[in-house]
Amino acid sequence: MTSSPVQTLTAAARAVAATKIYGSGDTEVRALDAIEVTFEQGRFTAIMGPSGSGKSTLMHCMAGLDTVTSGQVIIGDTDLTTLSEKQLTLLRRDHVGFVFQAYNLVPTLTAIENITLPMDLAGTTGDKAWIDDVVGATGLTDRVKHRPNELSGGQQQRVAVARALAGQPQIIFADEPTGNVDSNTAAEILGFMRNAVAEMGQTIVMVTHDPVAASYADRVVFLVDGKIVDELHEPTPASIRDHMTRLGA
Amino acid sequence: MLKLAWRNVTQRKIRFALTMLPIVLGVMFVVAVFTLTDSLRATFSGLADDISSGIDLTVRATQEFGSDLDRPTVPDSLVPAIEAVDGVREVHPGVAAFNVVIVDGAGAAIVPQGPPALGFNYSDAAFFLVEGRQPGGPGEFAADVDTVSDNDLAIGSVYAINGPETVESFELVGTFNFGSPDEHSSLGQTMAAFDLDTAQRFLGFGDEVIDVGVVVEPDASPATVKSDLEALLDDSYEVITQQAAADEQRADFDDVLSIFGTILSVFAFIALFVSAFIINNVFQITISQRVRELGLWRSIGATPGQLVQSVLVESAAVGAVATVVGAVAGVGLSRVLMVVLRAGGFGLPEGPLSVRPRTLVLAAVVGVGVSVAASLSPALRTRRVAPIAALHPDYLLDRTGMRRRLVGGTATLAVGAVLVALALFNLFGTVVTLVLAGVGALLSFVGINIVSPAFAAVAARVLGRPVAALMRVPGRLARDNAARNPRRTASTAGALMIGLALVALAAVVGASVTRTFVKTLENSVEADYFVSSSAGGFNPNAGFPVQVVDDLAALDEIDSVAGFRFAFGAIQVNGSVKDVFAGDMSILDEHFDTDLRSGAMASGDPATAIALHVDPAEDLGVSVGDTLEVTFPDNETDTLTVAAVFGDARIYGNWVIDTSTWDRHFNRSDFAFASATIAGFSDDLDAASQQRLLDESRIAIDGVLEAYPTVQAENRVEFRQSQQAQLDSLLIVINVFLALSLIIAFAGIAITLALSVFERTREIGLLRAVGMTRRQLRRSVRWEAAIVATFGAVLGVAVGVVAGVAATVAMPDSFVTDIAVPVGSLAVYVVISALLGLLAAAFPARRAGRMKILEAIAHE
Repeated sequence: MTSSPVQTLTAAARAVAATKIYGSGDTEVRALDAIEVTFEQGRFTAIMGPSGSGKSTLMHCMAGLDTVTSGQVIIGDTDLTTLSEKQLTLLRRDHVGFVFQAYNLVPTLTAIENITLPMDLAGTTGDKAWIDDVVGATGLTDRVKHRPNELSGGQQQRVAVARALAGQPQIIFADEPTGNVDSNTAAEILGFMRNAVAEMGQTIVMVTHDPVAASYADRVVFLVDGKIVDELHEPTPASIRDHMTRLGA
Repeated sequence: MLKLAWRNVTQRKIRFALTMLPIVLGVMFVVAVFTLTDSLRATFSGLADDISSGIDLTVRATQEFGSDLDRPTVPDSLVPAIEAVDGVREVHPGVAAFNVVIVDGAGAAIVPQGPPALGFNYSDAAFFLVEGRQPGGPGEFAADVDTVSDNDLAIGSVYAINGPETVESFELVGTFNFGSPDEHSSLGQTMAAFDLDTAQRFLGFGDEVIDVGVVVEPDASPATVKSDLEALLDDSYEVITQQAAADEQRADFDDVLSIFGTILSVFAFIALFVSAFIINNVFQITISQRVRELGLWRSIGATPGQLVQSVLVESAAVGAVATVVGAVAGVGLSRVLMVVLRAGGFGLPEGPLSVRPRTLVLAAVVGVGVSVAASLSPALRTRRVAPIAALHPDYLLDRTGMRRRLVGGTATLAVGAVLVALALFNLFGTVVTLVLAGVGALLSFVGINIVSPAFAAVAARVLGRPVAALMRVPGRLARDNAARNPRRTASTAGALMIGLALVALAAVVGASVTRTFVKTLENSVEADYFVSSSAGGFNPNAGFPVQVVDDLAALDEIDSVAGFRFAFGAIQVNGSVKDVFAGDMSILDEHFDTDLRSGAMASGDPATAIALHVDPAEDLGVSVGDTLEVTFPDNETDTLTVAAVFGDARIYGNWVIDTSTWDRHFNRSDFAFASATIAGFSDDLDAASQQRLLDESRIAIDGVLEAYPTVQAENRVEFRQSQQAQLDSLLIVINVFLALSLIIAFAGIAITLALSVFERTREIGLLRAVGMTRRQLRRSVRWEAAIVATFGAVLGVAVGVVAGVAATVAMPDSFVTDIAVPVGSLAVYVVISALLGLLAAAFPARRAGRMKILEAIAHE
């Protein structure tokens, strides 16, 4: 599968008629309703929407943590719907990065061990120079031998972002990465992610409900009732708030 | 609070079941042991009545001390006088001997495994003819129905029988039931019966009998006849009633059963003790996991005391349910064991299971008691839960400080060790010794368990190093998780430690005994062949005909043969009872070098000679040439002259008399053991000549032994191997008994790990999300278990080696002098434990592998 020549940017990940249905009959819930979306390489995309809009489900399905009921999810050239559980795990390990809201780190491992965890699981050493750059960018070079409980919340999240970056994945998914920290720390983490896209050419998709956080992205996609209803480029907090008000969120 | 406890029980069914499991196993074993021994006791009690029911009164010689085996005999000339007493209807003079072995049609000796092979005179008071007729002449015998049918013996055929002195051939003329007319209760023994004259001659009684049974006339009073008999006889004889005879028989059975029951109970209580460790651990973990919930209870008004109560009620419920399940399973197990024992050729009569209320009360006390006692320390910890815990997601219960832990644990360990030491030096009676050893061991284990968290983390890291190096991330996580919670790791390992400490203790004592034996054989034994009965060396009743020794001694290839006998508690010197060893003193020094300090075994007249170890010699202040008054079980006292004082008690024990002295005072004439030296053999000969002598003598000996299928002759190498094999099988039996404790310990590892995995749900979700495969995750959980198991095993082996060395030092020198630590087998135990740890983790590993990633990440 090759990307279409008319596209100026290559797709890092795409959803094609992605549908996710929970339950059946009367209790059926259509969490994703034939979603078509493309996340381009080298861009920072935010997914927003009210509670229950399906934004987390979309991210989980795109990232290979959950499976769609019908349709396709494609990362790079790979159709996730054709993969076995084991292949999905290896794809996550080698081609996807993750940042969760909290508890991102394995408490028994040091910061640097957490950062290199996916590569260590794969049994590879990774690109040493790149990892040094990433660690340098976190500003935690002198604390990498510490364990998570010796780091602040913001430091922990930066380590988590560094882990996502370290393996140079196709795409990084971040689920409310600043949901658990104060606004100064949030700015610090978001700036770090912004730089990763701008300077290191990473692709990041972030789920958030915070307009300020979303404003760090290149593009905001709005989800309501499992459908993409709108999108916004070069957003500001004000323009995002504006859109959300109009969507009734 | 009852409600809280009840909810905790009902809503956490799997955890509840897991917590119960160790107690169920422990209670099951206790109930099975008691039910089995009670049932056997009831069965044997009935049997004792049956056996003695045909005889109203028994006349026999009185005995001051010694075993019933060595009771003085009654001259048969006394029988007519007894028969002439008014009211006596029948007299039944009786003789009996061990090691009367029938050789079947194919030439194989019929040797029961464990129970004895007996010979009697046929008495219609105890034997009930089934087929054929009673033995009535010098060449006839009858046998019990089981022996006849199990070995395809045929009435009318002639069989060789090994007696205490010779081997002779007899025609089988009849079969009989023993004990009752309708049912044969052999108890697994083989029984050959002859007429009285033949039995007296063949079994070596001459004109003597062991006792005379009396049946009184129906209209006579046994009490009157008893006093008439007592009036007739002097006070070297006694008359006992049927009731007393049955009671003695019952007491004999009881002695065996008590030993059996005590040994099994000890293992049952070890299993329960191990269970307590696991219960304690499970409650510690679940309370840590429930801290927020407990905080909520505190914040809405529950007092600390109520929280403690709720935990105790929950543990009592666990104990109660486990007791019920365990008791039912235990009764089932004892039924199965009875069936196995019956099928195993022990010839037990049918009888109901005897489930006594005492057994059930005991089961409830230990089941609920162990559970509540084990949960006491975690329950008390709930008092430290502050209401704020409800609001604080990462609230941790403060832990006992390491300093307090070290001080408290070391103190407990020290008290335990002192108690064990007191027990080892055997200063008190048996019961006190057992209690001291038990309580001491218990305290020692608890002490070690209190201290061990102090080094558990370091130990887990060191033991986990190769795992981490070999298996990268899964290995590293396994190591770090094992080191993560030292208290938990220490208590999980603690359960295994107990089992392995006991295994290692037995291994060290066993290896020390073996080394002592080998050194004795190399340094102190001059003999080249060792003759014994195939019925087994540890059985004091295993003997062979005297004639074997004469036949071997007649061989040209053999220089001399010494036959030995021994008896426990069979002589009295200076008022105290001693074990005695008897052999041909004129040749003993050619066979064994027992470090003679003065004199020689062969000096003086053997018939009045005695030799003794230097310790009793010093205690009594006697030396060579002095005399000693020695009393025998036949109530006779001899004045014996000290011929030698020796320094090595490993072969003979402390007291040695000559064969002729034995023959004067004991009925038993078969040899327990014999040794032989090869003619012309010497260490100075070259290897080829030695081999030639060995080969020639072997052929000659085998030629003689063809006539004695129960007798085997082993050269030094074979003898060493067979002794080693016996010891090994004893160790295996001990390990089998400990298997239950080990199973519980490994179940504990599985349970603890399942709880840990549950606790780490979110972390597992994260690992899976960032690309850990299920296989890697499972491997990580399994190797964590292996590290914990290895820690427990290493700790257990270390404790066991210390205890084993201490026990060896405390044991008498006649038994063990050299200390050996079997490093190889101990290492194997550790490796096996690690592998079993891997296996035990299969269940938690599967659970971890099956967790749904998204749910795991979202887990509170």
